Amino acid sequence: MRAFLAGARIQLSFFRAYPDALIPFFTAPMFSVIFQMIFKHAGRQDLTGYAAVAPVFIALWWMALFNSGWTITIERWNGTIEMLVAAPSSFAAVIFGRITTTTLAGVVSFGETWIVARLFGTTIHIEHGWAFLATIVVTLAAMAGTALAMASLFVLARNAVTFSNSASFPFYVLGGILVPVSLLPHWVRPISSIVFLSWSADLLRAGLRSTPIHDFGFRLGMVGFLGACGLGVGAWAMHVILRRVRGTGELGTT
Amino acid sequence: MKNLTATARVAWYAIVSGANDYWAIFTLKSWIFGWCVRMISQVSFFALIGKLLQSDAQTQFFLIGNAVVVAAQAALFAMNMTTAERGNGTLSLLLASPSRPVVVFAARGVYVMADGVFSALLGLFILGPAFGLHFPFPRVLLVIPLTLLVGLSAYAFSTFLAGVIIKRRETTGLIVNSTYVTLMALCGVNVPVSFYPSWLAWISRCLPLTNGLEAIRDVVKGGAWSSVGAHAGAELLVLSVWLSLALATFGIFMRAGQRDGSLDYAS
Repeated sequence: MRAFLAGARIQLSFFRAYPDALIPFFTAPMFSVIFQMIFKHAGRQDLTGYAAVAPVFIALWWMALFNSGWTITIERWNGTIEMLVAAPSSFAAVIFGRITTTTLAGVVSFGETWIVARLFGTTIHIEHGWAFLATIVVTLAAMAGTALAMASLFVLARNAVTFSNSASFPFYVLGGILVPVSLLPHWVRPISSIVFLSWSADLLRAGLRSTPIHDFGFRLGMVGFLGACGLGVGAWAMHVILRRVRGTGELGTT
Repeated sequence: MKNLTATARVAWYAIVSGANDYWAIFTLKSWIFGWCVRMISQVSFFALIGKLLQSDAQTQFFLIGNAVVVAAQAALFAMNMTTAERGNGTLSLLLASPSRPVVVFAARGVYVMADGVFSALLGLFILGPAFGLHFPFPRVLLVIPLTLLVGLSAYAFSTFLAGVIIKRRETTGLIVNSTYVTLMALCGVNVPVSFYPSWLAWISRCLPLTNGLEAIRDVVKGGAWSSVGAHAGAELLVLSVWLSLALATFGIFMRAGQRDGSLDYAS
């Protein structure tokens, strides 16, 4: 636990030192403005809930992809990974502490985007409070699990770093964060179903509607399951990395 | 004449150097499966909002706007090249050389802008038919130089901003990302300029992209040539103003950095 908290503390220091880490807090409200303008111009105030949810996913995904995803890679570039691995505390706990902090920080974007909605004269009503809250909690956990998978995979596969720069909008489309998956072409939907964002975004939007939420348990379970898969892949990849680099002595250079 | 040749030579070397940087970052495979997939997804993401609104006209409006914005977005990414000079430790060498740094900086990221223009056109012409957009031939060919004009205009704006932030390398990512999303919000990309309050519409018209995008929309929907010409002329004017500002201020920002020692080697 101490290692986890130490990871969280160091991540907070990074936020202060590197303004790039704060990019989503500037872009999420702007995306919110864009979506609100689109729906207002189209006279579709009934869709403003969509406009409030989507920027939150954009912020959280950015945090997972760029802040958390690069965690291990940056430790290597900074030359600190050897000390981190050699320390008696758990390497995974420190990394997971950093990733969790980053993910939790993404919650700020909820407040930002909903303030923007108010500025556009819209009040977001949460009709199913507990379901909405449960979805947020499980989504954050799934996001942290996915981020760990990315952090490990980016170290294992060098090309993945280049691809990470491009892994934003493809997942926004597949995850149906603004436009529901049901409007995507049929051949894309099976792919979307294995992206946890699609289940999560659907549930959050359902939480804003007054109609009952169908199959809530199953859908929430899918968010948790897919997030757990990410965590499993991340933990396995981290185990492989540490075993490999300890054996070859190339911890900082592979 | 001699000075002009020397400047052209410096600009050419800067372009070649930048292009080599670019191909060190991207292979053809990572360009296609990384950048290209992202760009197609980005344009599709917004075009699909039109499907959500059940409006073909909105779908096509979003598609054209968000395809063309890719040219401006890439031009803004060129700002990263400026600060990369600092990161690489080559900025001080550049300052010590007799050539004007602004020539190098203005040429260093041209390839990023060119790639952005190419990507924007690719996105427009690949996704257009997929979303039911009809391109009137041969007038649609005019979209190519107009997209280039948008790219150049955004690039001049980007070079100006690069000078402003030269002392604050750590903020480059923040500025680049915030600026491109702001352009998406303010330049008539997703709603017509007429939707903005008049004071905001004026600001919008002074930014790169807005006027050029309207010219492109006019070309595609068969608007009057006079309207196309007026919008294209306005974009050209915006380009000239931002380029002049960049050329006039870059040296000032650099000298300020030299005076207070903030243009360090590889901070």
